[in-house]
Amino acid sequence: MQNKFRGVMQSPVTPLKDDYSLDLPTFERLLDFHVRTGAPAISWPHHKAESLNLTIPERKLFAEAAVKTVAGRVPVTIHVSALAIQDTFELAAHAQKIGADGILAITPYFWNPAREAIYDYFVRLATSIDLPVISYNSPSYLAGVEITGDLMARLIERLPNFVGVKEASFNSEKFLEISRAALKLRPDFAMLTGVEYLLPSVPLGGVGSYSAAGSICPNLCNATFDACMAGDWERARDLQYKLSWLWLLFRDQYPSSLKGGMVMMGRNVGPTRPPLPTATKERQAYIRGQLEELGILESEPHGW
Amino acid sequence: MTALRLGLVHAPVMPFTREHRIDFERFAQLIDFHQRHGADALAVPMHAAESVSLPEAEKHAVVAFALKHAKVPVVAHVSEAGSALAAALARQAENTGAAAIVATTPYYWTPPPAMVLEHFAIIGGAVQIPLFVHNAPDDMAGSKVSADLMVKLIGRLANFAGLIDASLDWQFMIELMTLARKARPDFQLIAGNELFVSAAAIGATGMLSSLAAVAPKLIRVLYEGCRTGNLSAARAPQEQVAALRQATKPGGAGVLKAALRVMGRDCGDPRPPLLALDQAAAKSLGEVLAALPALADEPRGFA
Repeated sequence: MQNKFRGVMQSPVTPLKDDYSLDLPTFERLLDFHVRTGAPAISWPHHKAESLNLTIPERKLFAEAAVKTVAGRVPVTIHVSALAIQDTFELAAHAQKIGADGILAITPYFWNPAREAIYDYFVRLATSIDLPVISYNSPSYLAGVEITGDLMARLIERLPNFVGVKEASFNSEKFLEISRAALKLRPDFAMLTGVEYLLPSVPLGGVGSYSAAGSICPNLCNATFDACMAGDWERARDLQYKLSWLWLLFRDQYPSSLKGGMVMMGRNVGPTRPPLPTATKERQAYIRGQLEELGILESEPHGW
Repeated sequence: MTALRLGLVHAPVMPFTREHRIDFERFAQLIDFHQRHGADALAVPMHAAESVSLPEAEKHAVVAFALKHAKVPVVAHVSEAGSALAAALARQAENTGAAAIVATTPYYWTPPPAMVLEHFAIIGGAVQIPLFVHNAPDDMAGSKVSADLMVKLIGRLANFAGLIDASLDWQFMIELMTLARKARPDFQLIAGNELFVSAAAIGATGMLSSLAAVAPKLIRVLYEGCRTGNLSAARAPQEQVAALRQATKPGGAGVLKAALRVMGRDCGDPRPPLLALDQAAAKSLGEVLAALPALADEPRGFA
């Protein structure tokens, strides 16, 4: 059976008005844009959507809007990770109630939990709902807290709804340790990279990624995935270098620069909530220059 | 300049007698073994060969011996704490006939980036043969090079041929290749360990392997699969190599030498301060290795 979570899946940013309040109409337009430009799935709110700067009621409101707007055209998963685990459980239950297709959850923030605590956490979370659960591994952002191959194997054996991982180490050894443990036990387990590092992951069993650049260049995202799946490594390498260059551009103060770049593509999604900065006019102009150099302005859709 | 293209480079261990002296007779046997079993080139003495435990005269003797005995190109490892010390090793290596030199970031010191650049420029500037920088953050207490530094070094040195990269870091490797290939189109990315599939996808054309002493056939199959562009087919041998790497990872030269003993290629124990595996650990390593199906086809002894 082929897992439905594959390809370059889009995780929209959170559009904000100038007073930093949620901009629902623009969010709906953005969701629609992603679906129309070939997103195989939608997932919200990743860190790119400023998840940790949103209130829990705001997260519920937009989660509902996402499910309604996408309206079954592609699967929608909800990222439920919150600082307090109680909130995470509440968001997971809410995701199930509103008809989402799955949830995504990172290892707990801040506390540097022991391996056994991470195991307990995922078991409790995944058994609290009936939805598919995708775990999220990001050791470099969480002080080395990570899901090892052994831990992943135990979770897969314990949890029938544990279906994939957003793997954001971008490291050959860490990816391979998880993939060879997971795919042996669950061959359709979705090995997904955190952002579009498709070229180094697909040959090791990767089936897609989440996306940093999809609101700028959806065509490039999909073309890179297709080239990798076709084993056309020369072409995939050219496309991947471009995508990774964009990631380096956006990684700095993520997602401020990305939102700045979206302005340049005719898709204004407003400012970024503090403590993250909002991209200045100068930064926007710099990004525009880079997009021009990469040929993105001609090859990708402008406006909504 | 036309730089040496590194393919599959084996990094042999350093055989020692019971008295911890270099066992050159065994070293000759080991070099023959590596050449017979798929080495396109040899790199000596790398960290796997306990280079840091070899005084200067021994380092030179090891390089000279390898050059005399080997038929494949020999890359001389010249890392030191001091730039002038490393440059002196580099000059000796060139005078003896080494095909290239390889150097890590300085030992112990953590100089600012401008001085790391200077360090490599001094080493590479001392010779005409190609310089390969060795990026090995795990070996070097986290000390590593940036893509920006490598591009600056390309601007300084005509003989800076490539990076042997053990970082495993996809973000770094792609950034490096994007920038370095613009500055020097034939710049070489060489994987600094046996996790090769992702690096090859990114554009690595060579691999440095110490595990080739344990499982040379498997390493060659992995390398060939990637070299010929069959990346997806290379996944199976890559997973077997990863299992072998996991089994031998913590412990460096001590574990490597214990694994070689299991394979019938005894090269003695490591020099202090490294410890040999105790009996219990050696026994359990033997059991782990015996359970790896990939090792069943590998040569036993030095044949």
